[in-house]
Amino acid sequence: MDKLVIAGQEFESRLFIGTGKYASNAIMAQSIEASGTQMVTVALRRVDIDNPNDNLLAAIDRKKYLLLPNTSGARDAAEAVRLARLARAATGIAWVKLEVTPDPYYLLPDGEETLKATAELVKEGFIVLPYINADPILAKKLQDIGTATVMPLAAPIGSNKGIKTRDAIEIIIEQATVPVVVDAGLGAPSHAAEAMEMGADAVLVNTAIAAAADPIAMASAFKLAVAAGRLAYQSGLAAQSHRASASSPLTGFLRSE
Amino acid sequence: MDKRLKINGQIRDFGDQLPPTLSELLKLLHIDQATVVAEVDGRIIPRTAFGQTELKDDAVIELVRFVGGG
Repeated sequence: MDKLVIAGQEFESRLFIGTGKYASNAIMAQSIEASGTQMVTVALRRVDIDNPNDNLLAAIDRKKYLLLPNTSGARDAAEAVRLARLARAATGIAWVKLEVTPDPYYLLPDGEETLKATAELVKEGFIVLPYINADPILAKKLQDIGTATVMPLAAPIGSNKGIKTRDAIEIIIEQATVPVVVDAGLGAPSHAAEAMEMGADAVLVNTAIAAAADPIAMASAFKLAVAAGRLAYQSGLAAQSHRASASSPLTGFLRSE
Repeated sequence: MDKRLKINGQIRDFGDQLPPTLSELLKLLHIDQATVVAEVDGRIIPRTAFGQTELKDDAVIELVRFVGGG
Protein backbone atom coordinates (compact mmCIF):
# COMPACT_ATOMS: atom_id res chain seq x y z
CA MET A 1 0.00 0.00 0.00
CA ASP A 2 1.33 3.42 -0.98
CA LYS A 3 1.06 5.16 2.38
CA LEU A 4 1.67 8.79 3.12
CA VAL A 5 3.39 9.50 6.44
CA ILE A 6 3.22 12.92 8.07
CA ALA A 7 4.84 13.37 11.48
CA GLY A 8 4.67 9.65 12.07
CA GLN A 9 0.96 9.47 11.23
CA GLU A 10 0.05 7.16 8.34
CA PHE A 11 -2.53 8.15 5.74
CA GLU A 12 -4.02 5.98 3.02
CA SER A 13 -5.89 8.90 1.47
CA ARG A 14 -3.83 11.67 -0.12
CA LEU A 15 -6.80 14.02 -0.21
CA PHE A 16 -7.36 16.39 2.72
CA ILE A 17 -10.61 18.34 2.93
CA GLY A 18 -11.60 21.71 4.34
CA THR A 19 -14.89 22.07 6.20
CA GLY A 20 -15.79 25.63 5.20
CA LYS A 21 -18.51 27.00 2.94
CA TYR A 22 -20.86 24.01 2.95
CA ALA A 23 -24.56 24.73 2.71
CA SER A 24 -25.16 22.64 5.83
CA ASN A 25 -23.32 20.47 8.34
CA ALA A 26 -25.16 17.47 6.90
CA ILE A 27 -23.86 18.10 3.38
CA MET A 28 -20.40 18.70 4.81
CA ALA A 29 -20.47 15.40 6.69
CA GLN A 30 -21.59 13.46 3.62
CA SER A 31 -19.00 15.15 1.43
CA ILE A 32 -16.24 14.29 3.89
CA GLU A 33 -17.41 10.68 3.84
CA ALA A 34 -17.55 10.57 0.03
CA SER A 35 -14.05 12.00 -0.30
CA GLY A 36 -12.44 9.13 1.58
CA THR A 37 -10.31 11.65 3.45
CA GLN A 38 -8.74 10.95 6.81
CA MET A 39 -8.04 14.53 7.91
CA VAL A 40 -10.11 17.70 7.78
CA THR A 41 -9.25 21.30 8.57
CA VAL A 42 -11.29 23.52 10.87
CA ALA A 43 -11.02 27.17 11.90
CA LEU A 44 -11.41 29.00 15.21
CA ARG A 45 -13.76 31.94 15.60
CA ARG A 46 -15.47 33.87 18.38
CA VAL A 47 -18.66 32.32 19.66
CA ASP A 48 -21.64 34.34 18.51
CA ILE A 49 -23.08 35.21 21.92
CA ASP A 50 -26.52 35.69 20.41
CA ASN A 51 -26.45 32.30 18.67
CA PRO A 52 -24.11 30.26 20.78
CA ASN A 53 -24.84 26.67 19.98
CA ASP A 54 -24.08 26.04 16.33
CA ASN A 55 -21.72 23.11 16.79
CA LEU A 56 -19.57 22.03 13.85
CA LEU A 57 -17.63 19.42 15.77
CA ALA A 58 -20.76 17.40 16.44
CA ALA A 59 -21.02 16.78 12.68
CA ILE A 60 -17.46 15.44 12.34
CA ASP A 61 -16.80 11.87 13.43
CA ARG A 62 -13.57 12.28 15.39
CA LYS A 63 -13.05 8.52 15.38
CA LYS A 64 -12.75 8.50 11.60
CA TYR A 65 -11.27 11.88 10.78
CA LEU A 66 -8.28 13.65 12.27
CA LEU A 67 -8.87 17.31 12.99
CA LEU A 68 -6.36 19.83 11.66
CA PRO A 69 -7.05 23.26 13.17
CA ASN A 70 -5.98 26.18 11.00
CA THR A 71 -4.90 29.66 12.00
CA SER A 72 -7.02 31.35 9.34
CA GLY A 73 -7.71 34.97 10.18
CA ALA A 74 -4.20 35.50 11.54
CA ARG A 75 -2.57 38.58 10.04
CA ASP A 76 0.80 38.11 11.68
CA ALA A 77 2.86 35.56 13.60
CA ALA A 78 1.53 36.64 17.01
CA GLU A 79 -2.09 36.14 15.99
CA ALA A 80 -1.27 32.78 14.44
CA VAL A 81 0.55 31.55 17.55
CA ARG A 82 -2.35 32.68 19.74
CA LEU A 83 -4.85 30.75 17.57
CA ALA A 84 -2.66 27.64 17.56
CA ARG A 85 -2.44 27.69 21.36
CA LEU A 86 -6.21 28.10 21.66
CA ALA A 87 -6.80 25.21 19.28
CA ARG A 88 -4.46 22.98 21.25
CA ALA A 89 -6.16 23.97 24.51
CA ALA A 90 -9.49 22.93 23.02
CA THR A 91 -8.54 19.53 21.70
CA GLY A 92 -5.13 18.52 22.97
CA ILE A 93 -4.16 18.21 19.30
CA ALA A 94 -0.71 19.57 18.58
CA TRP A 95 -1.18 19.63 14.81
CA VAL A 96 -1.77 23.01 13.20
CA LYS A 97 -2.19 24.28 9.66
CA LEU A 98 -0.31 27.55 9.91
CA GLU A 99 -1.97 30.22 7.81
CA VAL A 100 -0.86 33.86 8.05
CA THR A 101 -2.73 36.02 5.55
CA PRO A 102 -2.64 39.79 6.14
CA ASP A 103 -4.36 40.74 2.87
CA PRO A 104 -8.01 39.73 2.61
CA TYR A 105 -8.28 40.37 -1.13
CA TYR A 106 -5.86 37.70 -2.37
CA LEU A 107 -5.36 35.89 0.96
CA LEU A 108 -1.74 35.23 0.06
CA PRO A 109 0.39 33.95 2.91
CA ASP A 110 3.05 36.19 4.49
CA GLY A 111 6.21 34.09 4.30
CA GLU A 112 8.19 36.15 6.80
CA GLU A 113 5.46 35.93 9.46
CA THR A 114 4.95 32.24 8.67
CA LEU A 115 8.63 31.56 9.31
CA LYS A 116 8.52 33.54 12.57
CA ALA A 117 5.40 31.73 13.79
CA THR A 118 6.84 28.35 12.80
CA ALA A 119 9.97 28.89 14.89
CA GLU A 120 7.85 29.67 17.97
CA LEU A 121 5.33 26.87 17.40
CA VAL A 122 7.98 24.19 16.78
CA LYS A 123 9.65 25.29 20.04
CA GLU A 124 6.31 24.78 21.82
CA GLY A 125 5.98 21.27 20.45
CA PHE A 126 3.44 21.88 17.70
CA ILE A 127 3.36 19.82 14.52
CA VAL A 128 3.32 22.56 11.93
CA LEU A 129 1.88 22.28 8.42
CA PRO A 130 2.63 25.69 6.87
CA TYR A 131 0.59 27.20 4.07
CA ILE A 132 2.95 29.11 1.78
CA ASN A 133 3.31 30.66 -1.61
CA ALA A 134 5.17 28.38 -3.99
CA ASP A 135 8.56 29.66 -2.88
CA PRO A 136 11.25 26.95 -2.93
CA ILE A 137 13.66 28.92 -0.71
CA LEU A 138 10.99 29.49 1.91
CA ALA A 139 9.92 25.85 1.71
CA LYS A 140 13.48 24.74 2.40
CA LYS A 141 13.83 27.14 5.35
CA LEU A 142 10.60 25.86 6.88
CA GLN A 143 11.45 22.20 6.51
CA ASP A 144 14.90 22.90 7.98
CA ILE A 145 13.36 24.35 11.15
CA GLY A 146 11.11 21.35 11.57
CA THR A 147 7.77 21.62 9.81
CA ALA A 148 5.96 18.35 9.14
CA THR A 149 5.09 19.30 5.55
CA VAL A 150 5.20 22.25 3.21
CA MET A 151 1.93 23.33 1.62
CA PRO A 152 2.44 25.53 -1.45
CA LEU A 153 -0.57 27.14 -3.09
CA ALA A 154 -1.72 26.41 -6.61
CA ALA A 155 -3.70 29.68 -6.81
CA PRO A 156 -5.45 31.99 -4.31
CA ILE A 157 -7.75 30.38 -1.75
CA GLY A 158 -11.20 29.74 -3.18
CA SER A 159 -10.26 30.93 -6.66
CA ASN A 160 -10.65 27.49 -8.26
CA LYS A 161 -8.09 28.54 -10.89
CA GLY A 162 -5.99 25.38 -10.82
CA ILE A 163 -2.23 25.17 -10.74
CA LYS A 164 -0.83 28.62 -11.57
CA THR A 165 2.48 27.99 -9.79
CA ARG A 166 3.47 24.79 -11.56
CA ASP A 167 7.18 25.38 -12.19
CA ALA A 168 7.82 26.52 -8.64
CA ILE A 169 5.87 23.61 -7.17
CA GLU A 170 7.96 21.24 -9.30
CA ILE A 171 11.11 22.68 -7.76
CA ILE A 172 9.69 22.34 -4.26
CA ILE A 173 8.75 18.71 -4.92
CA GLU A 174 12.24 18.04 -6.25
CA GLN A 175 13.98 19.61 -3.23
CA ALA A 176 11.66 18.82 -0.31
CA THR A 177 12.54 16.27 2.33
CA VAL A 178 9.08 16.54 3.93
CA PRO A 179 5.76 15.74 2.25
CA VAL A 180 4.51 18.41 -0.16
CA VAL A 181 0.78 19.13 0.01
CA VAL A 182 -0.62 21.35 -2.74
CA ASP A 183 -3.15 23.52 -0.94
CA ALA A 184 -5.48 26.27 -2.24
CA GLY A 185 -6.78 27.11 -5.65
CA LEU A 186 -7.43 23.58 -6.91
CA GLY A 187 -10.82 23.95 -8.56
CA ALA A 188 -11.45 20.71 -10.40
CA PRO A 189 -10.53 17.05 -9.98
CA SER A 190 -8.27 17.39 -13.04
CA HIS A 191 -6.22 19.99 -11.12
CA ALA A 192 -5.81 17.60 -8.21
CA ALA A 193 -4.80 14.84 -10.61
CA GLU A 194 -2.25 17.19 -12.18
CA ALA A 195 -0.73 17.95 -8.78
CA MET A 196 -0.44 14.25 -8.00
CA GLU A 197 1.05 13.47 -11.42
CA MET A 198 3.72 16.07 -10.72
CA GLY A 199 4.69 14.13 -7.62
CA ALA A 200 2.89 16.04 -4.88
CA ASP A 201 2.38 13.86 -1.82
CA ALA A 202 -1.17 15.08 -1.18
CA VAL A 203 -3.61 17.88 -1.92
CA LEU A 204 -5.95 19.95 0.22
CA VAL A 205 -9.29 20.98 -1.25
CA ASN A 206 -12.19 22.96 0.16
CA THR A 207 -14.08 25.39 -2.10
CA ALA A 208 -13.98 23.18 -5.20
CA ILE A 209 -16.07 20.63 -3.31
CA ALA A 210 -18.17 22.82 -1.01
CA ALA A 211 -19.20 25.20 -3.79
CA ALA A 212 -19.89 22.53 -6.42
CA ALA A 213 -23.49 22.06 -7.52
CA ASP A 214 -23.35 18.56 -6.00
CA PRO A 215 -20.66 18.62 -3.31
CA ILE A 216 -21.03 14.97 -2.33
CA ALA A 217 -20.53 13.74 -5.89
CA MET A 218 -17.70 16.20 -6.39
CA ALA A 219 -15.97 14.83 -3.30
CA SER A 220 -16.10 11.38 -4.91
CA ALA A 221 -14.71 12.83 -8.13
CA PHE A 222 -11.78 14.32 -6.24
CA LYS A 223 -11.16 11.02 -4.49
CA LEU A 224 -10.91 9.27 -7.87
CA ALA A 225 -8.74 12.01 -9.36
CA VAL A 226 -6.22 11.94 -6.52
CA ALA A 227 -5.98 8.15 -6.79
CA ALA A 228 -5.59 8.34 -10.59
CA GLY A 229 -2.96 11.05 -10.38
CA ARG A 230 -0.95 9.16 -7.81
CA LEU A 231 -1.09 5.92 -9.79
CA ALA A 232 -0.05 7.79 -12.91
CA TYR A 233 2.94 9.28 -11.10
CA GLN A 234 3.98 5.85 -9.91
CA SER A 235 3.50 4.40 -13.40
CA GLY A 236 6.03 6.70 -15.02
CA LEU A 237 4.45 9.16 -17.45
CA ALA A 238 5.55 8.72 -21.06
CA ALA A 239 7.83 11.45 -22.42
CA GLN A 240 6.50 14.49 -24.25
CA SER A 241 7.85 15.46 -27.68
CA HIS A 242 7.49 18.40 -30.00
CA ARG A 243 6.90 16.45 -33.18
CA ALA A 244 4.57 13.56 -33.81
CA SER A 245 5.57 9.98 -33.08
CA ALA A 246 3.27 7.57 -34.92
CA SER A 247 1.23 5.14 -32.89
CA SER A 248 0.56 2.78 -35.83
CA PRO A 249 3.28 0.97 -37.90
CA LEU A 250 5.27 2.93 -40.48
CA THR A 251 5.49 0.02 -42.96
CA GLY A 252 3.03 -1.99 -44.99
CA PHE A 253 0.89 0.96 -46.01
CA LEU A 254 -1.81 0.12 -48.56
CA ARG A 255 -1.16 2.69 -51.25
CA SER A 256 -1.34 2.93 -55.05
CA GLU A 257 2.34 3.50 -56.02
CA MET B 1 -21.38 50.53 40.66
CA ASP B 2 -22.14 48.32 37.67
CA LYS B 3 -19.91 45.33 37.19
CA ARG B 4 -18.81 44.74 33.63
CA LEU B 5 -17.02 42.20 31.51
CA LYS B 6 -15.70 42.58 27.99
CA ILE B 7 -16.78 39.48 26.13
CA ASN B 8 -15.69 38.90 22.54
CA GLY B 9 -15.00 42.58 22.08
CA GLN B 10 -18.30 43.77 23.59
CA ILE B 11 -18.75 45.30 27.00
CA ARG B 12 -21.61 43.74 28.95
CA ASP B 13 -23.10 45.02 32.19
CA PHE B 14 -23.88 42.62 34.98
CA GLY B 15 -25.41 44.97 37.52
CA ASP B 16 -24.32 44.41 41.09
CA GLN B 17 -22.85 40.98 40.72
CA LEU B 18 -20.69 39.23 38.17
CA PRO B 19 -21.09 35.52 37.65
CA PRO B 20 -18.49 34.29 40.13
CA THR B 21 -16.66 31.91 37.79
CA LEU B 22 -16.13 31.37 34.09
CA SER B 23 -18.27 28.26 34.32
CA GLU B 24 -21.16 30.29 35.75
CA LEU B 25 -20.78 32.87 32.99
CA LEU B 26 -20.98 30.19 30.30
CA LYS B 27 -24.11 28.74 31.90
CA LEU B 28 -25.68 32.20 31.99
CA LEU B 29 -24.93 32.68 28.28
CA HIS B 30 -26.16 29.16 27.40
CA ILE B 31 -22.81 28.29 25.91
CA ASP B 32 -21.91 24.61 25.80
CA GLN B 33 -18.75 24.30 27.91
CA ALA B 34 -17.60 21.20 26.07
CA THR B 35 -17.13 23.01 22.77
CA VAL B 36 -15.76 26.39 23.78
CA VAL B 37 -12.20 27.60 24.36
CA ALA B 38 -11.67 30.54 26.68
CA GLU B 39 -9.12 33.25 27.28
CA VAL B 40 -9.37 35.51 30.33
CA ASP B 41 -7.17 38.62 30.29
CA GLY B 42 -4.98 37.06 27.64
CA ARG B 43 -4.51 33.72 29.41
CA ILE B 44 -5.93 30.50 27.96
CA ILE B 45 -8.04 28.72 30.55
CA PRO B 46 -8.15 24.89 30.33
CA ARG B 47 -11.65 23.47 30.31
CA THR B 48 -11.00 21.66 33.58
CA ALA B 49 -10.39 25.02 35.24
CA PHE B 50 -13.58 26.79 34.11
CA GLY B 51 -15.23 26.17 37.47
CA GLN B 52 -12.28 27.54 39.44
CA THR B 53 -11.59 30.61 37.31
CA GLU B 54 -12.90 33.65 39.18
CA LEU B 55 -14.05 36.63 37.18
CA LYS B 56 -13.06 40.16 38.15
CA ASP B 57 -14.66 43.45 37.14
CA ASP B 58 -13.51 44.64 33.69
CA ALA B 59 -12.00 41.28 32.78
CA VAL B 60 -11.44 40.77 29.05
CA ILE B 61 -12.83 37.45 27.95
CA GLU B 62 -12.57 35.71 24.61
CA LEU B 63 -14.78 32.71 23.89
CA VAL B 64 -13.94 30.87 20.70
CA ARG B 65 -15.02 27.63 19.09
CA PHE B 66 -14.30 25.55 16.01
CA VAL B 67 -16.09 26.42 12.79
CA GLY B 68 -15.80 25.23 9.22
CA GLY B 69 -12.67 26.35 7.43
CA GLY B 70 -10.16 25.38 4.77
